[in-house]
Amino acid sequence: MADERKREDAPGREDAPKRAAEPRRERPAGGMGRRAFYLRMVASSIIRRRSRMLVALLAVAIGATVLSGLVTIYYDIPRQMGQEFRSYGANFILVPSGGGGSLSAAEAERAREYFPAGSVVGIAPYRYQTAKINEQPFMVAGTDLAEARKTSPYWFVSGDWPESAGQALIGQEVADTIRLLPGSVFTLTGAAPDGKSFSRDFHVSGVMQTGGTEEAFIFVSLGDFDGLMGEGAFDVVECSVLAAEAELSAAAGRIAADMPGVAPRLVRRVTQSEGTVLAKLQSLVYLVTVVVLLLTMICVATTMMAVVAERRKEIGLKKTLGAANSGIVSEFLGEGVFLGGLGGLLGGGLGFVFAQMVSSRVFYRSIALRPALILVTLIVSVLVTGLACLLPIRGATEVDPAIVLRGE
Amino acid sequence: MSLLELRGVSKTYGNVRALWDIDLTVEEGQWIAIMGPSGSGKTTMMNIVGCMDRPSQGEVRLGGVNISQESGKNLTAIRRDKIGLIFQQFHLINYLTALENVMVAQYYHSLPDEKEALLALERVGLKERAKHLPSQLSGGEQQRVCIARALINYPMLILADEPTGNLDEANEKVVLGILRQLHQEGSAIIVVTHDPEVAEEAQRTVVLEHGRIARIIENDKWNKWNSVENSAANNEENGKGGAADA
Repeated sequence: MADERKREDAPGREDAPKRAAEPRRERPAGGMGRRAFYLRMVASSIIRRRSRMLVALLAVAIGATVLSGLVTIYYDIPRQMGQEFRSYGANFILVPSGGGGSLSAAEAERAREYFPAGSVVGIAPYRYQTAKINEQPFMVAGTDLAEARKTSPYWFVSGDWPESAGQALIGQEVADTIRLLPGSVFTLTGAAPDGKSFSRDFHVSGVMQTGGTEEAFIFVSLGDFDGLMGEGAFDVVECSVLAAEAELSAAAGRIAADMPGVAPRLVRRVTQSEGTVLAKLQSLVYLVTVVVLLLTMICVATTMMAVVAERRKEIGLKKTLGAANSGIVSEFLGEGVFLGGLGGLLGGGLGFVFAQMVSSRVFYRSIALRPALILVTLIVSVLVTGLACLLPIRGATEVDPAIVLRGE
Repeated sequence: MSLLELRGVSKTYGNVRALWDIDLTVEEGQWIAIMGPSGSGKTTMMNIVGCMDRPSQGEVRLGGVNISQESGKNLTAIRRDKIGLIFQQFHLINYLTALENVMVAQYYHSLPDEKEALLALERVGLKERAKHLPSQLSGGEQQRVCIARALINYPMLILADEPTGNLDEANEKVVLGILRQLHQEGSAIIVVTHDPEVAEEAQRTVVLEHGRIARIIENDKWNKWNSVENSAANNEENGKGGAADA
């Protein structure tokens, strides 16, 4: 029978090495490690197919950029908007508590310690007393004018803020009543709380408009005020603090507990509206961020699907060569993780630039770099790309290796 | 013990019978050619022998082990360890160099070994082209890389599907020369081909028609060309449905 034919029948076979009859060889230990070759394959796929991979990398990087930028803005909104809200005046005040409480300069200074470091924009103490100009009564306020300028940046001053003793900032209503202009001199007369009379000339350094009750006041430095009225406790201390309502409430609780003579209060109309606007703005950015994340996932998944689909034959070939499904998945996943990492790193950096541009154009302020956000962007990017790879690959591993033989 | 035994192998796809009661035995070191018109069942037979498909009926034994009903995972392992595949369209991975394409087969088998892969390329005359990408190689060179890849894990059986189908005459001679050398070294080879010149190189040619073995031709070059007519009509008379013992 034909099937009885042995290979020895072949001409020249007697001297030929019996290759197929050799025992199966194990690879020498000096061979390249599997991991090293795996990395070589992944790197080759990315580097030598760079035009294809560039499309996928762009999809990942653009998604990561928008994501990183929006999250940076999301976390920076309270700081940005908080500074914006500080333009509308103090959001926290200290007053003497009822029943004989008093508010000293030391207590006003101590209050600074109860707020988060670096969050205090300004703390302006005020003393009020009535005095007369040309026998007309006016309210005189003594304050730390440099701090008042910080806590009340919305005051519109025609002329200059007082810079030396003997200068006063008067409200528009006062100026209209007694016809004073910047540079005018007026004489302030009256009696101090201890009954001692005073009379002193002041130069009008500037006229101030606020649209509020402050326009009926005359503001002088604390030194000048104490010189006229004698030293005494503050009537109110206005604080402008970059902090959320909850933080201010917590600080108020601690101050009330530590300083029994002092009653801390939040300026509700400011803190509440600030909180409401911030919450709405953050919700909006959060929503946009989630939508962008979903769109990024879809975009990356679609790109990766296209990448995997065009390599269907390669997958079939690898299966024909004996690759297990898990091996093929790990190869594509390796490429996805590399793309996700590189795209995430690029996106993290570009996202900061994007956030910086938005911040400087919308809030006119620079934004702080948060290295943790770049790390988070990197991780999210790797996860999203990995996930986006997994879905199409799982389907692709079902490829029948016979398609390679059929040439399909 | 024969290297490969097909006993009563049939394969049906729905109502279509692609292979019908095939009996074939291939001994170690034999070179078999399979010929036949399109739709005769050559590819189906290659898929079954190459562990890429299972028969609907019958038994396939490779190295004495019945692989007819093995799971897909086990068939992958058998294909990886025991079979070397050569394709008409070469099927090299386009982003890997010639050397890396050979090493891929090592990687899925056991451990990649660059020196051994380089020796395999040297054997097919491509040592100098080892660092070239497939796009930088001619068709003949790509086919030689494909052969080096098929050999690298010392397979029991080399399956070649139209190995010269996409090559010019010069490259066809080179590739046939390599296959001849492999055969002389003891490799068992099954070649599917349309080309009578390629089939002449084999010890026997199995001709398939309508899913059955129509005849087996003993190559004269090896054994003074015996032709064993084994028509379907005779087989039906014997109640064997076209099967033939090769």
